[in-house]
Amino acid sequence: MSAAGIANPAGALAFLALAALLVLYLRIRRRQAIPVATLFLWRRVRAPLVEPRRFRPDALFWLQAAILAALAAGYVRPYLDRPTGGAPAARLLVLLDVSASMQAREPEGVRFDLARARAQREIARLSSSDEAMLVTAGARASVVLRWSTDRALARRRLEEVTALDVPTDLAPALELALSEGRARAGTRILVLTDLPPSEGGVAAADLAAVEWTRIGHTDDNVGIIGVTVDEPPFADPGAASVLVLVRNFARVPRRVVLAAGAGGTPWERRDLTLGARGSASVTLRAPPASGALELRLEVDDALAADDRAWGWIGPREPVDAVVVTRSPALAAAFERLVAGVPGGRIARIAPEEWTPAVAAGHRVAVLDGFVPPEEPDVAGTLYVAPPAGNAVCPTAATAAADVSVVDWDADHPILRGMDGLPPLTLARASALAVPGWGRSVVLGGSRAASVPILVAGETGGRRVACLAAPLAEEPLASDRLSLLLLALGTLRWLDDGTGPLAVATGDPVPISPGVGASAGVTVAGDPPVLIAERAGIHRLPAADGERIVVANLADERESDIGREVGDTPLPSRPPPPASALARSDATGWLFALGLVALVVEWGLWTRRAGA
Amino acid sequence: MSMRAAAAEPSLLDPARLARFHGLVLRVPGGAGEQGGQQRVPGRADAAGLEVEAYRSYTPGDDLRHLDWNALGRLDALLVRRFTAERRLTFHILLDASASMRVPAGADKLRAAQELAMALGFIALAANDGVRTAILLADGRTRVSRPHRHRQAAAAVAGELADATGGGALGLGAALAAHAAQHAGPGVAVVVSDLMSEVADLERGVRALRARRFAVILAQVVAPGELDPGRTLRHGVLRDAESDDVHAIRLTRAALAEYRTVVEEHLAALRALAARTGSVYGRLVAGTSVADFITGDLARLGLVRRR
Repeated sequence: MSAAGIANPAGALAFLALAALLVLYLRIRRRQAIPVATLFLWRRVRAPLVEPRRFRPDALFWLQAAILAALAAGYVRPYLDRPTGGAPAARLLVLLDVSASMQAREPEGVRFDLARARAQREIARLSSSDEAMLVTAGARASVVLRWSTDRALARRRLEEVTALDVPTDLAPALELALSEGRARAGTRILVLTDLPPSEGGVAAADLAAVEWTRIGHTDDNVGIIGVTVDEPPFADPGAASVLVLVRNFARVPRRVVLAAGAGGTPWERRDLTLGARGSASVTLRAPPASGALELRLEVDDALAADDRAWGWIGPREPVDAVVVTRSPALAAAFERLVAGVPGGRIARIAPEEWTPAVAAGHRVAVLDGFVPPEEPDVAGTLYVAPPAGNAVCPTAATAAADVSVVDWDADHPILRGMDGLPPLTLARASALAVPGWGRSVVLGGSRAASVPILVAGETGGRRVACLAAPLAEEPLASDRLSLLLLALGTLRWLDDGTGPLAVATGDPVPISPGVGASAGVTVAGDPPVLIAERAGIHRLPAADGERIVVANLADERESDIGREVGDTPLPSRPPPPASALARSDATGWLFALGLVALVVEWGLWTRRAGA
Repeated sequence: MSMRAAAAEPSLLDPARLARFHGLVLRVPGGAGEQGGQQRVPGRADAAGLEVEAYRSYTPGDDLRHLDWNALGRLDALLVRRFTAERRLTFHILLDASASMRVPAGADKLRAAQELAMALGFIALAANDGVRTAILLADGRTRVSRPHRHRQAAAAVAGELADATGGGALGLGAALAAHAAQHAGPGVAVVVSDLMSEVADLERGVRALRARRFAVILAQVVAPGELDPGRTLRHGVLRDAESDDVHAIRLTRAALAEYRTVVEEHLAALRALAARTGSVYGRLVAGTSVADFITGDLARLGLVRRR
């Protein structure tokens, strides 16, 4: 059965041009009433009156309307599908892997280029009535082209896609493709990736509807799989050390050179001999300068994306805090704590003396049992045992007793360098709740319930930490090592609020409002989230200047480009049906009709103008 | 002369082009003036002059030089010769500069009216008569010039007439009446207009001029399309150029024929008005030769003569 339709429904808005023409004619007609010297003679004529508003279009109007109607009708691209006796129209969904491993070089070419060429060939095979959809899979799924019969558009969109420095997560894109396939019977799903089906993240049974094409086979890759910059708190950058993990993913031994530079100055070169699928760790000490750390593997392997890594070394400013407390013991404890840091400075005032100007010139504020009406204008603020009902750290009125540390977020920068927290029990702790802007870094438990002991996060562009432990009652002494380390780590983290942000490519990271995107880094959402799609050091425009983001791939799974997985073969699937409908596109005919009407209209207009 | 030839003719607003009108004079029935001049005014015998017009009985104080001694010898009666008055006339050229004079667009009635007014004014100046221009503007305003008395003033008259650009609504009868109220006769009022207004309204103005001892010349300037609109009107939405009123009629052949009848009635009413008020009425079709109109139509009416 024949079926008519339109390929560009939004183009129907072009028919508004007809209304515009009508309005134009009415306006011109009103303006072109024939002026006569007097009407009193005409009013004596007993001729039938014409309704003034009645529109009596002439041939010129009808021709112009025909031109517009033909052009508008052509713009909506009407078509007629007629059965040809063959199979029904085909739909092709191409899922293209754009992760970092697709940048790997094969003897035939770069994996991504091979995959794209295959996709181009598949699209070229489609008939004019077939539809195609393009989905990319990197760290996230992205729809590059919704269902469209425009093959030229599909080819253009494919050309615009590039492989990114991000790990692979095929599952969301596969789920999207499968749901599209379920919604549109007969959809052929073509997956172009270097991953085996078993790493697709969906059930093998679902993959029966998928045509999985694995691109690439080489395992020739050595990559940097981890970089850790260890800087002692408040110490000179020269005291920093860098731990670099390098791994050979090939099944043959490799020799490589690791070259390091810091602050634009060459630092060190290390020759590394790596066994088959072996790894090595390199510790670099005493950097020659502070600033950008650049690590580079001098090796000719298939994947270059993981041959470089970046970091950042200081410089660190000595701790500079104002402590607002009534407790001389707490102030003294902080002074002792900072005394061990060269150049450290602690100023103490009582809460009654607090004014916003007091915090000016300091980088960190420690507020003991006190929350001022306005947030201190410092890089970071530590609220110690905040009072109940305050506006910053949600705190219940009833304090918890006998709270012991039961869990902590080992990945949080506050706890960096600590191999877990030694046992710690607090006689009394404020009943903190986790606010929307922060997360629980250290979690305690009492007999009644679990209580956050330390909450940290960023709000209003500043770092804020809330500590449940009343430090005035819990002396920061060496016999309370956990509390001591926690306080020190928190001060360091608070002071580091404007330092470079280290992220893994593809990982969404919350970021302060006011930070803009740059090439290779997207910033979107509310609250804003940053995603680095390219590894390297990015300088993002920010309200207060710039924000440095250090992005590294450092993903073993991505660097392992020659994955050997014992895959179970995919269930066989019937070949996709070929196109069954012959589509007649009326666009060209309509445009031709409009052209003919234009010529006739021009001729008529010329005759009238001549007359 | 055909319209096309008339259109190609140089503008009569240029005084240098008016030399052909030398030797002509405007003879206006009833036209008179207070000052002596060269214009003979029959019916108003003077005690002195060149041409004997009448006699009357001698009364003490009459100039004995004008006593007709022959009559005394034959009739034994003392009769004194009376002479045809010779006066300087003042022509008030009232030019309609309303919006109606600019329609239909192709005819340019205003231009034809300006040229006609200029030609009449030049003839008057050449005969040592006075000329005063009065441009009848919209909303009852009138721009009246000072009197011009010599042929050299032709350029000034041309400038005053050329300044009339046309626009706005004009009640012609009221404008004529207002002019009569502000300027006493005797004189000659030359009304150059399309006269496309109610005859009753126009009559009020003409009678007001007559009451102030003006002889009146009604010089109508019409467009060909106003007499026969069949060639210019394609559809029937008509707009009054002065009031902006709209009148939409179906222009059938019957309607056009009826319009022509209505126009003929209007022209006949104008002629009747002229007869009633002792005025002179002439009609110039815009696009035809103004010179031919003066030396042809107006000469036949006795308005223009050789000196």
